[in-house]
Amino acid sequence: MIWRRRRDPKDFAEEIRAHLQLEADDLEASGVNTREAERLARVAFGNTVAAQERFNLRGRAMWLEHLLQDVRFGLRMMMRNRAFTAVTVLTLAIGIGASTTAFTWINAVLLQPLGGVADPNRLVTVETVMSNGSWVPNSYPDYQDFRDHLKLFDGIAVTHIAAFSVGKEDHAERVWGEMVSGNFFSVLGVRPEIGRLFLPAEFSDTPGKFPIAVMSDRYWRSHYGADPSVVGRTIRINQHELTIVGVVEPAFHGSIPVTAFDLWIPYMQQPVLNGVKEWMLRDRHNRNMLGIARLKPGVTFDQARQELKVLADRMAVANADVSEGMSATLLPLWKSPHGPQGLLVGPLRILMGVCVLVLLIVCANVANLLLARATVREKEFSARIALGAGRVRLARQVLTECLLLTGSGAVLGLALTPWLSHALKYLMPPGNLQLLVSMDQRPNFAVLAFTAGVCVLAALAAGIAPALQVGQLQLNSQLNANGRNGGAGRSRNRLRSALVASEVALALVALVGAGLFARGFQQTLRIEPGFDPNHVLLSQFYLSTNGYSLAQRKEFCRRLAERMGSTPGVTDVAYSDGVPLGFEPSWWEELRIDGYAPRPNENMNIFRNVVSPGYLPLMHIPILEGRNFTDEDNENSTEPVMIVNQSFARHFFADRDPIGHKIHGWGDWFRVVGVVADSKYHYLGEPATPYFYVPFRQIYREDMNLAFYIRSAGDPDDMLSTLRTQARAIDPNVTVFDAAPLKEFIGASLYPQKVAASLMTVLGVVALLLATIGLYSVMAYSVVQRTHEIGVRMALGAQPASVLRMVIGHGLALTAMGLAAGAALALALARTLAGVSFTNSGMGTHASLMGGSAKDPLVYAAAALFLCVVSAVAAWLPARRAASIDPMKALRTE
Amino acid sequence: MPTPKDDNERITLLQGTLDLLILRVLLLGTCHGQGIAKAIQRQSEEVFFVDHGSLYLALQRLEDSGLICAKWGVSENNRKARFYLLTERGRAQLIAKTTWWNRLTRAMELILSPVNEEV
Repeated sequence: MIWRRRRDPKDFAEEIRAHLQLEADDLEASGVNTREAERLARVAFGNTVAAQERFNLRGRAMWLEHLLQDVRFGLRMMMRNRAFTAVTVLTLAIGIGASTTAFTWINAVLLQPLGGVADPNRLVTVETVMSNGSWVPNSYPDYQDFRDHLKLFDGIAVTHIAAFSVGKEDHAERVWGEMVSGNFFSVLGVRPEIGRLFLPAEFSDTPGKFPIAVMSDRYWRSHYGADPSVVGRTIRINQHELTIVGVVEPAFHGSIPVTAFDLWIPYMQQPVLNGVKEWMLRDRHNRNMLGIARLKPGVTFDQARQELKVLADRMAVANADVSEGMSATLLPLWKSPHGPQGLLVGPLRILMGVCVLVLLIVCANVANLLLARATVREKEFSARIALGAGRVRLARQVLTECLLLTGSGAVLGLALTPWLSHALKYLMPPGNLQLLVSMDQRPNFAVLAFTAGVCVLAALAAGIAPALQVGQLQLNSQLNANGRNGGAGRSRNRLRSALVASEVALALVALVGAGLFARGFQQTLRIEPGFDPNHVLLSQFYLSTNGYSLAQRKEFCRRLAERMGSTPGVTDVAYSDGVPLGFEPSWWEELRIDGYAPRPNENMNIFRNVVSPGYLPLMHIPILEGRNFTDEDNENSTEPVMIVNQSFARHFFADRDPIGHKIHGWGDWFRVVGVVADSKYHYLGEPATPYFYVPFRQIYREDMNLAFYIRSAGDPDDMLSTLRTQARAIDPNVTVFDAAPLKEFIGASLYPQKVAASLMTVLGVVALLLATIGLYSVMAYSVVQRTHEIGVRMALGAQPASVLRMVIGHGLALTAMGLAAGAALALALARTLAGVSFTNSGMGTHASLMGGSAKDPLVYAAAALFLCVVSAVAAWLPARRAASIDPMKALRTE
Repeated sequence: MPTPKDDNERITLLQGTLDLLILRVLLLGTCHGQGIAKAIQRQSEEVFFVDHGSLYLALQRLEDSGLICAKWGVSENNRKARFYLLTERGRAQLIAKTTWWNRLTRAMELILSPVNEEV
């Protein structure tokens, strides 16, 4: 509609005054006195104020009135066709509910990752970049350099995720929290609910100073009954007394998206709480701090990144011994690979894509249903056009009805989302991360806006075809043909054909997607990990939180291994720092290899594990050359030893025999005593990686983890109670450990793929079901519409078989068109999806979700064949009915 | 002074016909709102009564859709008044609508006053 410049209401008022005067003049001329004439003129005119109001409202009032009429009429139509309405609204609710849920997650993980912080848009993640381009966490000395020299930032803070044991030894409870730099809360802009957070005076780098703690609102409520007097009281953490200085406001859950922490303690308490040696805090190798920085107002991301890079490059030169070739960069919060978001980003993107696909199929279905109904309503529309209704008005009516349908679907879908949102937990691997996942359940403006947008788009997508059809109604042919159904409109047939083809195309995309992911997952499952995880119970101990010193921890391991080893049914016992294919970040050591000259910029940081002598035999990792570690490889031996894997030997020793060669690491020279077969260390799809093992008793340090393995003849779960008893027998206070069969634990590394595959399968089945229903209804409907034509053909002597052939042929021709379009679309999408990767563990390594299966012709062929069968059946059933009826009856149906 | 007729004897204008009547009045020359109302009442022999509020709304509608245009001027008795005149589009519309109306009335007449049907 073109808007003219609106006439001034004053001008209109002036016109009315002129009118009254002219009227009064007329009356006066016929002999009435002046005052009476003026009065009569006003009476004749009626309410002038009302007239002016109507003038002011003219455009709007009509528009609103029409809308109300449309809505009322639409609601009546919905009530009249209850079955139709129910089917449409339910399908729409599925489509919109799924999309909204996906968006809720994406919003929580990617768009608004942190709650309770000030101006989150200026917060970024700081990542150290290795010489090979992968991202790693920061060290505390790096942080100090960043903090002291960067100008474009309003502060930079670091944090380290930690499990604490809270309470007295005999009833300690494990609580997850963060060990943070003193300025953590001030950089994030978090406010206390009661008490205070860390003060500038407490932003100290002095180890052991300020034994204070801040707790979450959640923990305060569950453990202290929201008692305000908690401030100033002490809390026993890892057997040390810390003073509670405050509680953070409820919206703040910590610095990692969708994760809820309960305690914040200054990182400088590490030596006190976890027995970490003070030199480790000053060690640039000790990269266990996640960095968050706040940009100054007006500073762009790129400027800040540039400044950080320049500084980091200078630091790499200044500390060449440890950081050569390293740099640093900024990432948006959600891109950090070190939290659950690293796992979720890939699957969530795919989920969103699949939801859009489902929504498209739903829209195609609804459009089809509306088109079918529009045919029935042609008489109604024709009559209204004949009576003078505008085509635009009718088209708007159709769209309004559509919006009512999608609106109802959206409301129903929204009602479902809170339940569906909880399912995010099932996207997380079992274990610690799952416990920590939390979602903000409060109504969210972004989510509501998204749903409203989806609702309008769906209404347009589903309503545009029927609305266009109303616009093209041939009035004459309709009225003349006496409203015969289905006779009119080649264009409508084309439209319906296009819809059938598009349904086939979308279904093919859904099927191919599900197939590719499932196959990729299957292929990954078939990869041999290189060790045998069956019949192994894995338990992880958190001894340092119980106040154990390094020597006590080693002693605990030795005694537990002794006791478990003598348990009937147990065949092997071992312990180590890292767990293969786990979620914990894997560690490396920078090596210097005697007789090997590294290429310029070659990454000499090699992944390693610190293991007990029993580890390799327990894992069934074959020793190819040399020997295994023995109990003699201990603290007292004159020379530390090392075992390397095949890739290591091939890469660094080429044709030489590695046994007996010397390798430098941890400030000491190690002698290679053995070569073992390669296995998988970080994820199943990884290429062969150089890797080495060092003896537990020689290298184990304070900041290392403790994993304990028991191989038994039977079910590993059966060993759990024995393990518990034996651990208690050594120290009744050891309560803090997790245990799970290794087989389950390493499944975690497959999690993103598993999630992608299962999501695709579930939603692929939904999509397929919807598309099949749509395909069938459209096919069936078009055959019913052709009943008359079929009747004529049969009356003229056509055989039922040839009629069947004709109808099925037509259906298959449409299917073929849809398949061609769908295949092109699926290929393009698969290429994009093949690029979607996930990060697992803290390694910043990217693994493809789909594996190498993106072009698997078998998947495409199977999906196409399946859809051909579905559409043939969808055409055959109604065609058989049409062919079996009496031609005379068919003709008489008119 | 014209005696106002009883409401019963008047016929409320059919929706949409007022526009047609206004266009017809303006065919004869420019006129202001009050004059148009007078003309319709007079020419219909006081059968149609024009509600003045509706009249101005209709004038505005016609002006908005470009069928008529308006300018301020001076009336025959030297009063300031807003005068309306027919545009080209208005003229075409008047012809089209008049033809349509004639066909309608003829059809209505054929049905309502049959000549020799009932014997």
